[in-house]
Order: sequence, then C-alpha cells, then structure tokens
Amino acid sequence: MNALLHPEAGASVASGAAHARREAWRRALYRMRQSSLSMLGLALVVLLLVLAATGHWIAPFPDHITGSIDTAMRFKPPSWKNWMGTNELGQDVLSLVLGGARISLFAGLAVVLLAAAVGTVVGALAGYLGGWTDEVLMRLADLKLTLPGLILAMAVAAALGAGTVNMVLAISLGWWPGFARLVRGEVLGKREEVYVLAARALGAGPVRIMWRHILPNIVSPVIVKMSLDVGFAVLTVASLGFVGIGVKPPTPEWGQMLSTARGFLPDYWWAAIFPGGAIFLAVLSFNLLGDGLRDVLDPRSRR
Amino acid sequence: MERRSLLKGAAGSALAVSAAGLSGMAMAQQGKKILVIASNQDIPNFDPHIATGYSASMLLRNTYDGLVRVEGNPPKVVPHLAASWTVSPDGLEYVFKLGTSARFQDGTPVTANAVAYSFRRTLRLAKGNAWMIAGVVDPNGIEATDVQTVKFKLLKPFAPFLSVLPWQFIVNPVLVETNKGADDGQEYLRKNLAGSGRFKIKRAEQGNLYEFERVAQPWRDGGNLDGAIWKIVRETSSQRLMLARGEAHIAVDLTSEDMDALKDRPGVVRVLEPEFRTFSIKMNTAYGPLADVNLRKAVSHAFNYQGMLDAAGYAELMVGPLPPGLMSDPKLKVPRTDLEAAKAYMAKSRYPNGGVKLTMVHVTGLEQQRQWSLVLLDSLKKLGIELDIKPMVWPDMVASTKTPQTNADFFPVYQTGNYADPDNVAYAAYHSSRNGNWQNPVYKNPKVDALIEKGRGEIDPKKRAAIYAEFQRTVVDDAPDIFGVLEKRRIAMRDSVQGFVFTPVASNAIDLQKLSLK
Amino acid sequence: MLAYILRRIVLLVPVLLGLSMLVFAIGRLLPGDPVLLAAGPNASREEVAALSVEFGLDQPIPVQYWRYLTGLLHGDWGRSLQTRGPVLEDLKVYIPATLELVAAAMLIAIVVGILLGLLAAVRRNGWIDYAVRLVSLASISMPRFFLGLLLQLVFAMWLGIAALGGRFPLTGSPPPTVTGMLTIDSLLAGDWSALSLALQHLALPAIAMSLSPLATITRMMRASTMEVLQQDYVLTARALGIPPAKLLFKHVLRNALSSTLTVIGLYFGWLLGGTVLVETVFDWPGIGLYATKSILTQDFMPVMGVVLSIGTMFVLFNLLIDLLYGVINPKVQLR
Repeated sequence: MNALLHPEAGASVASGAAHARREAWRRALYRMRQSSLSMLGLALVVLLLVLAATGHWIAPFPDHITGSIDTAMRFKPPSWKNWMGTNELGQDVLSLVLGGARISLFAGLAVVLLAAAVGTVVGALAGYLGGWTDEVLMRLADLKLTLPGLILAMAVAAALGAGTVNMVLAISLGWWPGFARLVRGEVLGKREEVYVLAARALGAGPVRIMWRHILPNIVSPVIVKMSLDVGFAVLTVASLGFVGIGVKPPTPEWGQMLSTARGFLPDYWWAAIFPGGAIFLAVLSFNLLGDGLRDVLDPRSRR
Repeated sequence: MERRSLLKGAAGSALAVSAAGLSGMAMAQQGKKILVIASNQDIPNFDPHIATGYSASMLLRNTYDGLVRVEGNPPKVVPHLAASWTVSPDGLEYVFKLGTSARFQDGTPVTANAVAYSFRRTLRLAKGNAWMIAGVVDPNGIEATDVQTVKFKLLKPFAPFLSVLPWQFIVNPVLVETNKGADDGQEYLRKNLAGSGRFKIKRAEQGNLYEFERVAQPWRDGGNLDGAIWKIVRETSSQRLMLARGEAHIAVDLTSEDMDALKDRPGVVRVLEPEFRTFSIKMNTAYGPLADVNLRKAVSHAFNYQGMLDAAGYAELMVGPLPPGLMSDPKLKVPRTDLEAAKAYMAKSRYPNGGVKLTMVHVTGLEQQRQWSLVLLDSLKKLGIELDIKPMVWPDMVASTKTPQTNADFFPVYQTGNYADPDNVAYAAYHSSRNGNWQNPVYKNPKVDALIEKGRGEIDPKKRAAIYAEFQRTVVDDAPDIFGVLEKRRIAMRDSVQGFVFTPVASNAIDLQKLSLK
Repeated sequence: MLAYILRRIVLLVPVLLGLSMLVFAIGRLLPGDPVLLAAGPNASREEVAALSVEFGLDQPIPVQYWRYLTGLLHGDWGRSLQTRGPVLEDLKVYIPATLELVAAAMLIAIVVGILLGLLAAVRRNGWIDYAVRLVSLASISMPRFFLGLLLQLVFAMWLGIAALGGRFPLTGSPPPTVTGMLTIDSLLAGDWSALSLALQHLALPAIAMSLSPLATITRMMRASTMEVLQQDYVLTARALGIPPAKLLFKHVLRNALSSTLTVIGLYFGWLLGGTVLVETVFDWPGIGLYATKSILTQDFMPVMGVVLSIGTMFVLFNLLIDLLYGVINPKVQLR
C-alpha cells in the first residue's frame, strides 16, 4: 500500500518535517552564538527593549515624560543630576530619551509586524493562487515599490492626523510590498514540495495547507526580513517625528526632540546629540541583530 | 594607489578654493548696497487690499505708499502722500491735502482720485486691512474734491483714524482698471505691483526670496539702499547663524535663545524692545466646560505664569487685556499663580475635582507655542484636568473658530499692534463682531462691546482713559483669556545697517525707506 | 538588441499608466476634503459648490481618472494651494536640485565605496578590513538627518569651511540656468567661482546622503573583489610571480561596474524619495522639501505630483540601468 495515501502517513511526514525544522533552528542558534557582532546586536536589542518597557519606572524624572516641566532648570548641561542635561522646558533629557524609547521601538516593531502580516497574506495569496491574482497583486506591489515610501507615509500620517496609531498605520501601508514579494517567492518555491502535494492529495484545503505546511517553512526568511526592517522602521518613525508628523505632545519622541533641539545648536548641543544618538544606537542594534539572524537563518544570502 | 591621492588632492584644493570664496562672500554684489533680511514668513500675495501678515506688510509698505507714515518710539503719525490734513471738531470729517511730488512707478502723479479709488476698493473687497476702517469710513463719503484734495466722511468719530492710515495703501487706478478681470483686479495685484513706493520687485521666488530694487527716481529722499532681499529662512537658528556670519543683515524671527547666543558677538547689534504685541490663550466661553466662569478663573489662577515667562525669555507678563503704553490701568489686579485661589474657584465650578479633558490647539511648527501649551498642560495637571494638545496648520485653526462647537477649549493668539491705539487690541480681541474669527472666536459681552464702541468714538483722552479702565476691569472679571506675555521685539542686525529706528508698531515689517548700508 | 529596447519602451506604457492610476487612487483616498482646502476658511457655500464642480468631484471615478490622466499629459499637474501656481512649474525647478544632490551623493558613494571596498578586500582581515566593515554597518544605521546635523555642526558652525544651507549664496550671481543643476551650469558657463560656491553648498548634504549607498558599495566591492582574488588564475599568476594587479584591474573593475550598476539602480529611487530630511536640514530647495512643506500645509496636489514624478523617474531610470547592463555585461541574456 502506498504509504502516502494513508492518513497517518501524512501526519508522520508532517511531523518529520517539524522535527527537521527544530533541528534547523537549533543549528541556527548555535551559529549565531559564534558571531560576536550578532550577539552584540542581540544584547543591545534586549537592552533597548528592556529600557523601553521599564522607561517610565527607571527614569529619574518620570513626570517629565507625561508633560511636567521645570522652567527654572532650562538648558542645563549634562551633570550628575541630569546625565543628559535638560531641554528648553527644563525637562530631563535622559528621562525623555527613555520615554521616547517606548514610542520609537514599539512603533517600529508594530509597523514591521503589521506590514509582515499584510504582506504575508498578500504574498501567500499571490503565490498559492497564481494566475490573475498573482499578476494583479504583484504588479500592485511592484508599482508601490517605485513610489517614495517616506513621502507617502508622511502624507498619509498627516492626513490621518496626529497620534501614534495613525503613524503606524501610515508607515505600514508602504511597507507591505517587500514582504509580499518575499512571501510570494517562498510560497511559489514551497508549493511543489512533496509534503504539500501529499497534503493536497489527501484532500487538505488551501488554508490548511498554507497554515500547517507552507507558512511554517517560510518563517525564517520572513523573520530575517522583519529583523532587518525594524531598524529602518524605527528610523522612519523618527523621521516623521523630525518633520513634525506623528505623536502628539507631550509624548516624547526622538525625532521630534532632535528637530526641536536643532534650533539650539551649537550652544545647547546635548538636547540634540542624545536623542540623535539614541536613534542611531537603536537602528544599529537592530541592524546588527538582523545581519546576524540573516547570516544564521539564511546563509544562502551571505555576501 | 595614485588615483586615491589624486582624488584627495583635488578634494583638498576644492575646499581651499571654496573657503577663500566663502570669506569673500559676495556681500557687495558689484558694489551695490543690497540689504538682506532673513525671515520665516512667505509673501504669497502682493495685493495691498487683501494681504495681511507682517511679511506682506513689509513688502507693501516699501512698494506702496499710504497717506501718512508711522515712525519713532513712541509712534507718531507723520505726513507722506498727504502733506497736511484737517479734522473737523466733531471728528466726523477729515480733509487731506496731497503733496505734489508723489509719482506712481509708471511715472504718473498720485492724485486724490487714486486715493479715493483705493479706499473704495478696500471697503468693497472687505478683506485685508479693511477691518480697520469698516464701519468707520462712509463708503459714499469718500470724495476727491480736487486733484490734490481728498475728503473722508466718517460714520462716527474714530479716535485712532490717523493711526490706521499707514496701512491703507494707494494703488494706481489706471493699472488696476486695465487689469480688472472679473475679480476687481485681485488676480493681477496678487503678483503685480501698482504702487508709488520707493522699491519695486526685481524677482519673486515663492517660498524662497523676494528681491527689491529701488526705482530710478524715488519721489522722496531716503537711505542709500539700492535694493533688498527678503529671504525665507525657516529655522531661526539658521537666521541667527546667517546674521552672525554676515550672510544676512537683519534677522527678524530670532528666539530668546538666539538673542542670547548673539550677545557679545562683534558686528552684531541687538534690538530688544517692548512693544504692543500680546500673546494670550483664549478660552471657549461659549461652549464646553470653560463656559463656566469659575472654571476659567480657576485655570487663570492655576496657570504657571513664571514658567511661561521663563520659556519666553525676553518678555514681560501681561497685566491685563491692554499692553502698557496703550492706556493700560496700572492699578488693575490680574490673576497670578495661586493654587489655593484656583482650588477655591474649582470648588465653585461644575468640576470641583477636575476629571475633565480639555483641548488646546496651536500652530504646527511654532516652537514657542508648543512650549507654552506644555506649560498649560503641566499647570492643569495640578487641577486634575487633562489637556489634549493638537498641533494644526493655521488655516485649519482659523477654520475651527467659525462656531463655538468646533472651537477648541484653548486657543492661543498673538495680537499684533497694527496701530498704536488701545482700540486695536480692544476691538480686535474683545468685540463680539469678531466672533467666528481667529482674533476673537467666541467671547461676547454686550457691556464690553458698548465700552469698546464708546472708547473708539471718544476724542477726549482723559475720558477715553476712564472708558478703557472700566473696559479692562470688566474683561478681567469675565476671565475670557489667560493673559500671557508681551514678548519683546527681538531683532538682530549687522552694525553696517544704519538709519534703523525702532517703532513698536510692525517693527518686523522692515521699512527700507530710511535705511542705509555702510 | 534594438528589438529588446523597443519592447522595453513599449512596456513602459502600461507601467506608467498603472503608476498614474495608483497615484490617483492614493490622492482620492487621502482623508481631507480637497475642495474645502482649496476654497480656504473664508469661502461661502456657493464658492465651495462651484469649486466642487470645477474639480469634477461630482463625476464618477473613471471619469475623474480620465480627466486626471489627460490633465497630466497636457502638463496640468494641479495647482499648489501655497504658491497658487502650477505644480509642474514648481517641479521643473525643484527636481533638478534634488537630482543634483542625488547624483553628487552617488558619485561620492561610488568613488569612495569602490576604493574602500578594494582596500578592505586586499587587506583582508586586517584592521583596515574590520574598520571598514564596522564603519559600513554604522553608516547604514546612521540616520541621515542626524548625520547632516552633525556635519553642519562641525563643518559649518565650528570650522566654518562649508556653507550652512541653501544651494548658493544669496547675493551671489548664479550661472545662467541650463539644466537647473548649479554645478553643471557653472561648468557650462566656465564660471569657476560659481562652481566653487555651488560645491561648497553641495558638499555637506551630498556627504550626508552618500553614506548608505557608500556602505553598500563598499561591502559589495569587498565581496566581489575577494571572490576574484580567490580565482585560480589569480593564484596562478601570484605563484608565477606575476603581480596580480593588472589582472585584478580588468576583472575587478568589470565586476565593480556591474555591482555598482545594481546598487545605483537600487538606491536611485530610494534616494530620490529619501532626500526629504537632508533637504530640510540644509534648506535645500528640492522636491523633498517641496513635498514636506506641502504636506504640512495639507496641500496635496504638489505631494501627488512629487510622488508621481519620483515613481516615473524611478521606472525610467531602471530601464536605463537594465539596458546598460546589457551593454556592460554581454553575458547577460536580454530576452
């Protein structure tokens, strides 16, 4: 009897595949530990996330994050009391940078998650269904890619109005095509794999196939892309803030802080250097991590 | 690797050449005296009867003329197109005799007919600076009795009439009539000039710069400027740096921090003078929680005035609705930060424990307003009131003032002194005819209206002072605004600029007439 | 070859059409009422109604799109609410400015990138290599606007050797406009002082923009050079005592050219749309600044114009790159 026609055989083929995946992950993590830059990236990202999550508690002047001011302490240079000095309203820059971490990092993550979700759905549909759906969706994605992402994100965010949610929506709107193309390519590749054909022969519907068989196998390139993109998402959030679109006052946001502090250069440089440095550090950390993950999960694309 | 060193050499010499070029910067372009002014405000419209804003005022006052000019500190009205004038004892009739030397830029003389035509056009279009004379000048009472004489009949006596005339510009009727089109010449005058001013526009690059050039035969003596450039520089710090390096001669939008940075800089002269420009945060007296006067009084007493002052830098706190020098009452008691009193008023209001969320709008990108809205947010926290700050573009803010329902709870407003008279502030900011308008969105008190109308019609100065004293007391009692600050005018100039005399009226609309460059 | 070119050009048409449709859709979907915005806060109800008809908003969507498309082809790209002038006229001024900036940035990136990549590959695993790799990674992560500010701080404010902003000193006399790019126009006019002034103003923003492509080109150059260095013929040459430099030159350069082309293609569109912040920091009057100002004043016709023009330039540019590929690397099959 043909093993493939037996329902249990299908399951064991699938679980065999799952086992292989776990092995691959384990090997990947091992390789990752070997690369010092990636570990550095990981450490930094974890540190940043922890700071972002606990910012409001560990900040020396938590009230400043919610809008309190202290005008008698304006423009004080870095000192023991204010490690990063104070800004134009006497607010502690360190506290604001910590507070801003939450917005920038989580907004960046949200953008990538949302874009990945939308892109995956679109890409999966295009890859699996093929034909007209594929043509239309991919043409749309390609066209979208020729348009300037930052400008469109700015325009949509401005039109939607101030606020973090609007900003995240606006940016993700421009981000999905990259994911869509990636997922489509991967799905196309996996569509003809043995276990997929087997599952189809056994009568599994497209959704089930997608969910149980295909998607789990394309997780790693998607994760690689996500991690590579977070840095740029954070940068985009800061860019919108720099121009004055995005969060509402008094929410601290690194880009907006940098923009305000521009006017105080070169005399009160700390109000600009620290938020700017924070953006740089965040993007660098995610890029290091992303690079490391790519080397590890997707060695084919090694340069 | 020879290629690399070659490149390095080239780069090095390019920088060296450019450094030399930078220091010999083309300030004296072929020996001409061109004054460079850095501002962040654009001049989108050249029509003297439509355009408003200080940048427009700058362009208009240098390319057009009015019957009189305003000069000096304290500001005085002096003859310009009009050589002399008489006022009837009842204040209802003004007769101006024009000088004979004034010429339009096309060479034709400025006649009384042109004056009458211009005033009629202003009133007809009812935009721009028309509000200064609307309801004051009888549109049918403007008459050119002969070539050099113009007669104005007023509907009621208006004490500051002469002070508003510098902003009523005279256009060349022939040019305007020829290019009238369907909209009374608005499309033509938007981009073209039809004036008699000392300068004309050599080039106009929207959003970038406007270059003025002196006309071949100006009809009045003045300074030695051959021209000027109004350059749009968005960042105040850039303005400051341009000025410090001599790339600009005058910077008009500097912040207090910029002024501090320029303090002992050689070659820089700082102008830090009090003037009549007020900044207040208007409260929505007609709709929402702030319709309750006790809540307004609570807010007025909780507000961190010192914080606002600190953030403002070179400024003074307002001492009531009228600025000092414009008949303000020194004995007036205004709210100051007093948390006890604030809580007492809160107890009497509908929200004794706060717990309400109020909205504030401010102009996107205006750093000073952003800082002050944060001062308000911080102050309101102490009352348990949450503040939702909404940055908006100015046109949206203006649109939101149309109805009390769309008007925000807090609306920040700069009230400029266009003319040095208490009526300027009183009428624009507190008369109910300005409701639905950004200058006074919702405040309405018939008693105050009556006082304002009485004040503008009263010629006797002592009686006027008494009227305005009562006006101020009544307004403070109503607590419609958080009275904010009077920012000092902050202008920095190169010491090569001569002939500048500060006038507390429209000082940032630089008057080129008497300026010279060393 | 000719057939290929013609085919690609013909294929351009549906792409550009698709682009226009996408931009039109985005423009219509943006929240906010364009009529109210155009009418201004003081408009009466009749004025608003009249404008509605003029904008054609009462027509069905396909009709609106047709009007839009024909308008585009006739040079009517809408009016800016700010300048009240036609968007196309504004674009004619601003696009060359941005192109100049992008071109200068790419030039710096290519020249420096190739050199650094070569250096790193030749001195593989030495400290230079590590330094270059680290700096590359840092460069990609560095926010351009922050870098721009730092450059301004150091070179313009402290050292005073570069210009603070703008394209040309205010009271200077720019060369006559031929391309709209001051450096080229100065060269064409033989005006060396104008050229020097223009370069002084171009330097910092171009450097700020160049960092990302520079890092990528460095990496690619390093990788492809290393690959070449490990080829048998190079090892053989070395073994025979022949200095590998000559062989290196030809092969490495050929590789460099094609990977550079890839990078240029990749980055060109990205840079075009990404000059926004650098233009803001340096007050560089290009389409980035134009779009930003328009967005902040809710003036959307210019924004759509900018978006469409960038998209179009990107598509055209990519076609050019593809064709160049075929010329440079005859191994590439042009189907």
